[in-house]
Amino acid sequence: MIFARRKQKQNKEAANSIYYAKDNSKYVIEMAPEIGLLKSLGIVKDAIVEKIMTYKLGGPVLLQVESCEIAVSKDIAEKIIVRG
Amino acid sequence: MATCHDIKADPSVYEKPNKILLMGNPNVGKSVFFSSMTGVHVVSSNYAGTTVSYTEGQIKLGDKNYTLIDVPGTYSLEANSEAEAVAVSFLHSNPVAVLCVLDATNLEHNIKLGLELKKFNIPIVYALNLIDVAKRHGMEINAGLLSQELGAPVIPTVAVKGEGLAEVKKELQKILEQQQNSCSHCAACPGCGSTGTEQDTWERAREIAARVRKKGEGRLSFLDRLGDAMLRPLTGLPLAILVIALSLGVIVGGGKALRAVFLLPLVNKVLVPLFKMIFSSFIPEGVLLNVLIGEYGIFVIGFEWIIALIFPYVFLFYIVFSFLEDSGVLPRLSVLFDNIMRKMGIQGGSMITILMGYGCAVPAIIGSRTATTYKERIMIATIVCFSVPCISQTGALISLFAGFSPLLLVLMLLLSLAVMVSVSLVLGRVIKGKVDPMVLEIPNLLMPNAKAYAKKLMLRMKHFLLEAEVPMLFSVIIAALLKETGLLDLLAVYFEPLVSGWLGLPRDAVIALILGIVRREMAVAPLLAIEGLTALQAFVGGAVALLYLPCLSVFGVLSKEFSPKVALAMGLATTVTAFIVAGLINQIAHLFL
Repeated sequence: MIFARRKQKQNKEAANSIYYAKDNSKYVIEMAPEIGLLKSLGIVKDAIVEKIMTYKLGGPVLLQVESCEIAVSKDIAEKIIVRG
Repeated sequence: MATCHDIKADPSVYEKPNKILLMGNPNVGKSVFFSSMTGVHVVSSNYAGTTVSYTEGQIKLGDKNYTLIDVPGTYSLEANSEAEAVAVSFLHSNPVAVLCVLDATNLEHNIKLGLELKKFNIPIVYALNLIDVAKRHGMEINAGLLSQELGAPVIPTVAVKGEGLAEVKKELQKILEQQQNSCSHCAACPGCGSTGTEQDTWERAREIAARVRKKGEGRLSFLDRLGDAMLRPLTGLPLAILVIALSLGVIVGGGKALRAVFLLPLVNKVLVPLFKMIFSSFIPEGVLLNVLIGEYGIFVIGFEWIIALIFPYVFLFYIVFSFLEDSGVLPRLSVLFDNIMRKMGIQGGSMITILMGYGCAVPAIIGSRTATTYKERIMIATIVCFSVPCISQTGALISLFAGFSPLLLVLMLLLSLAVMVSVSLVLGRVIKGKVDPMVLEIPNLLMPNAKAYAKKLMLRMKHFLLEAEVPMLFSVIIAALLKETGLLDLLAVYFEPLVSGWLGLPRDAVIALILGIVRREMAVAPLLAIEGLTALQAFVGGAVALLYLPCLSVFGVLSKEFSPKVALAMGLATTVTAFIVAGLINQIAHLFL
């Protein structure tokens, strides 16, 4: 029951969140949460980021932004909406 | 406007004249600059947030004295954390100049902060640090062009090797002199510069970075590839286990070896006999002589406990931990284990702070300032107080269990992990507020610079000797007085039901409970001297010590960083938990044995 609900939630966001996006590809950010640190690190609207991978079991995503690697927790990454 | 709220800073520092602010992104080498320019040694590491408060030191430029302030690293000037709030407060305190350190391997972020700083209209010099690493990555940066774009001097540097520091000083002196000739009150009007959105600043930073940087053949070095491998779970997890196993091996194995080969013979064959001889030559037999050199004498256990038992482990721990810090391994562990930490209700970034607690709880609790919410800070502090034994205590536990089986050590580790998980699960639900999810910049994997590493190690050992020696001696004296005057036997009667009845420990163990209040390892050390301890008793005693009241220094730092109420609550909660858990272990074990 709980699992079913979780799955549903995943599917809804899977379409365009960077958390579920394909690894090793570049994306343009359409929407990112209003978090100071994200902005400071350059994860803002219209920025180009490369998604390297997602860690299993609810781990973070690993992104390459400009010349540095940044790990972003699942809770935030799910809310970063991107287009391919 | 952000003000410095929770940091217990001395407000008078803001009023000092002739301040030069040392600023920059986290982990660009500010602390290295500070150490070499002022001669005041501060701890630097290879991850964001080593400097959580400021440090000040004096520098002389020409014939004038200035106060250089090592401001905590900031990605922006928006005060996203307490550390960033401190940085903003400093900018509004009329500094005469800013020395902004830029990381050459990560130009966009650093130039962006550089541009934001310019808006404050304070004379500024940029140090383009880590150019050696940038070169290794195949990046060629035109410092002259960057200087034009930023409208201020840009000096290429390799701070850990001292390259470029003299030029930085020269430039600082130059702009300070220029400023005196022209509009000196300009520094007093912060924020009068051009306005623009954060987005614009980003655009501009990217533009500049692209213009001044030429990317050549970037061949990945072994370290780059290793750094990458440590981030991928398939290779990273085995590497993480290897790193942890090697670290433990060096600390535990090396500590035992140092003890057996060098320190124990030194203490038992040289120091103790020497002092026994000296004191017994002019002091008649009796209580005084016993207090000095009896079985529990100050000059016996003082050497046995401090030199042979604690020192080797502390020394080796900092050898290993400082290396891990400087290399950039720790943030990679944070990323790999964020999923587990997240389920526990904290985030991967806190792992570094908790690991620091395995050395000593005091720097870990101070280091928790990097946490962005109060809830996370208090969770880290509680986890460290409850379930993380400091290295002195670990050393004592290793020696205690050495007489039995290594299995006890493994069981103790499992117990501490179980307590850690329970504590964070409970706190996550009980404490109001939230924990900000992890956003972590991963630093380059670097080979620690030998000089910086040696300095840091020296600084830490000096700190340990100064900070820990006094309370240790204090507890040794208490132990000697209690035991050798017979006071202990009187006290033991009152504690008998708890110590012997509930915990199943010998009467003498009460001394461990009394000393454990002063220092953590002293809750274990007296057990070593008790003859005929069973494995169960050793384990129960170790469990009490692990969970028991953190030491007096921790009590002090908790009062200072949080409040006396928090410190008291922590003391009470840990003590009660220690007696309940250890007692239950004893009672349950007796059902089966």
